[in-house]
This record gives sequence, structure tokens and C-alpha cells, in this order.
Amino acid sequence: MSWMFRIILILVPFLTTFWILRKIRKSQVRFEDAVFWLLFSLGLIMMSIFPQLIDWTADLIGIVSPVKFVFLAIIFVLLIKEFLLSIKVSQLEYKLRTFAQTYVIQSRVDMENIKKMETREAHLVASKPSIFKFIWLLEV
Amino acid sequence: MKTLIIIPAYNEAENIAAVIKQLENSSAKIDYVIINDCSRDDTSVICKQNEFSVVSLPINLGIGGGVQTGYLYALEHGYDIAVQMDGDGQHDPAYLNDLIEPIIHNKADIVIGSRFLTNEGFQSSEIRRVGIKFLSEILYLCTGIRVKDVTSGYRAVNRKFIEVYAKEYAQDYPEPEAIVVAAMHDARIREVPVIMHERSRGTSSITFWKSAYYMLKVSLAVVLYRITFHKERPKI
Repeated sequence: MSWMFRIILILVPFLTTFWILRKIRKSQVRFEDAVFWLLFSLGLIMMSIFPQLIDWTADLIGIVSPVKFVFLAIIFVLLIKEFLLSIKVSQLEYKLRTFAQTYVIQSRVDMENIKKMETREAHLVASKPSIFKFIWLLEV
Repeated sequence: MKTLIIIPAYNEAENIAAVIKQLENSSAKIDYVIINDCSRDDTSVICKQNEFSVVSLPINLGIGGGVQTGYLYALEHGYDIAVQMDGDGQHDPAYLNDLIEPIIHNKADIVIGSRFLTNEGFQSSEIRRVGIKFLSEILYLCTGIRVKDVTSGYRAVNRKFIEVYAKEYAQDYPEPEAIVVAAMHDARIREVPVIMHERSRGTSSITFWKSAYYMLKVSLAVVLYRITFHKERPKI
């Protein structure tokens, strides 16, 4: 491995981590959602500084080419992440739906109650002697 | 018994007024609610102008979410029977009594208006009928309940299933799945013959290209729901 390539391999994960950190701060991502990406970028840094780790693990599992092991591991991690994300989107959709439904039903019930109250008041005004009507009108 | 007609409507400005007029002409003393699923056309304006009973969703939820809103409405207002009826003029209110009657006499929990009992009126295209037959068989295998017109959106349910559907209702293409959900809650399901019209105007929400996805999704959903519900298959 050439020196140049080695430097790039170490530099890129560092820059990526820095970029992720900055983005997380700027876009106000909840820490809970950021943890994964922090760990992920730390992992990338470790792999670039100590490539022996990869060779060692690949050897342990019995994968001949360490490069393939890196691809396999990262794709697997991202796949799981994607699946969890999909669940999260689904849950959000459910929450939004329930919110919209509760909101329309509740506002409809409120409107019906207001209408009921109005007709009751109108009825009251019509049926009471004029002095009450006068007081009621003053109150309104 | 207090009965509510649930009419889901998405971009039905051309049909909705006629549907409601027809409904009001058929029986004067029946409550209905239009669920306007955030239509982009004048559905909302037309409903307001005519003083129709309408609930307008702030975001588009799709047919499942819309119908479920209707069931929540029925639950909140204490209705005993809820009837789903499309807002596009396919379903004739003349059959309302046929749908409601078995529920009133406590002979069924759910009554489905079926095109295929007498095979009269609009029958849908050949390929769709094959699809419906296929789904019908899957439903029979999974639940032991024989429903011929599984995709019919013209159905009446009693109080128990108003509660069930208010809690749990499928989102896309919900009709066949709703039957499985009902079957898992021990529903007595009955079909009555109805004649459906081809939709007056506008296009069906299910285009030809979506049909394949429809079949796959619904079949999988039905089977998965059956497997994950943990209930003994009834003896046939």
C-alpha cells in the first residue's frame, strides 16, 4: 500500500466523522438518533488506523479476502439500520394518522356542542320575558 | 337503531352532490357523514355550499385512514350500525335496508353488498373478477369464511365491529383485509346481492398497473395477518 493511499484512507474517515458531527449539531438531530452515526464513524476511523483488526477478524471468521469482509459487515450494518428506519417511518405515519383523525373528530364534536349551545340560548331568549332578554343581550 | 352512512370521498366533486341527493331521497331519516380525505378539487366547497354533513381531514390518509375516521366518528357519536358507501355513485342507496336488516335482527355482524350473488349490474372486468376470485379463495383458506365479493366497499357493520375497525383498519386496499380482521374477531359475515353501477364520472383509484401490486400486497397481508393473529383455524 502506498503512503498516499494510506493517508487518504485515514483522512477520509476523520473528515466524515467531523462532517457528521457538524451536521448533527446544525440540524438539531436528537442525540438518540445520532448515536448510531457517531459509533459508525468511530468504527470507520478504527478500521483505517488499525487495518490489522480487519485482517484478524476476517481470518477468525474464515473469510479469505479482508476487503470482502469489510463490504459484508458494512452492508449488513446499513441494512439493519435501513430496516429500523423503515419501522420508524411507519410508526410516524401511524402517529400522524391517529393525530389527524382525533383532531377532526374532536373539532367536529366541539362544533356540534357550540351549535347546540347557540340554539339553546336562542331558545332561552325567545321564551323569556323582555327584561331577561335585555340582561342577556347586555351580557353578550 | 342509530345508523350512520360513512362516505369516503377523495376528489369526488363531480359525484358527491348526486350521491348525497340520491341518499336523501331514498330515506329521509338517515344520518351520514362524508369523509373528505383532503381532496384537491372542489369536494369541500360543494359540501359546504350544500350544507352536507362532512368531516374534512387536514392531511390525505388514503382510503383506509378515511374509512377508519368514519368508524371513529360512529364510535364517538354512539351509532349502533355503520354502513360504508363509496362517494362515486357505484353503490345504490336502494339496498341500504337489505344491508342493515340482518344486523337489526342480529343475524349477522357484518353484511357485505355483493355483485356476484346474482351476477347482475356492473361486474368489473374479466381480469379483475379472476383476481377477486383468487382473493376470495385465499380468504376462505385462511379463515373458513366464504365471501364472494371481497373487494366490495359497500358493507354494514354492527356496534362491535365499529369498535374493532375504529381501532384497527388496513390502509391501502383495505376491504379484503377488513374481512380477515373481522373473521379473527369471530364475525358472522353475510353477503346480500346488490347491483352496482359503473362509477358515474372520474377514474377508479385502482389503475391497471397497480392491480398486480394490489394482488400481491393483499394476499400477503391476509396470510400474514392470519399467521400472526394466533388463533385456531375454525373447523370447516
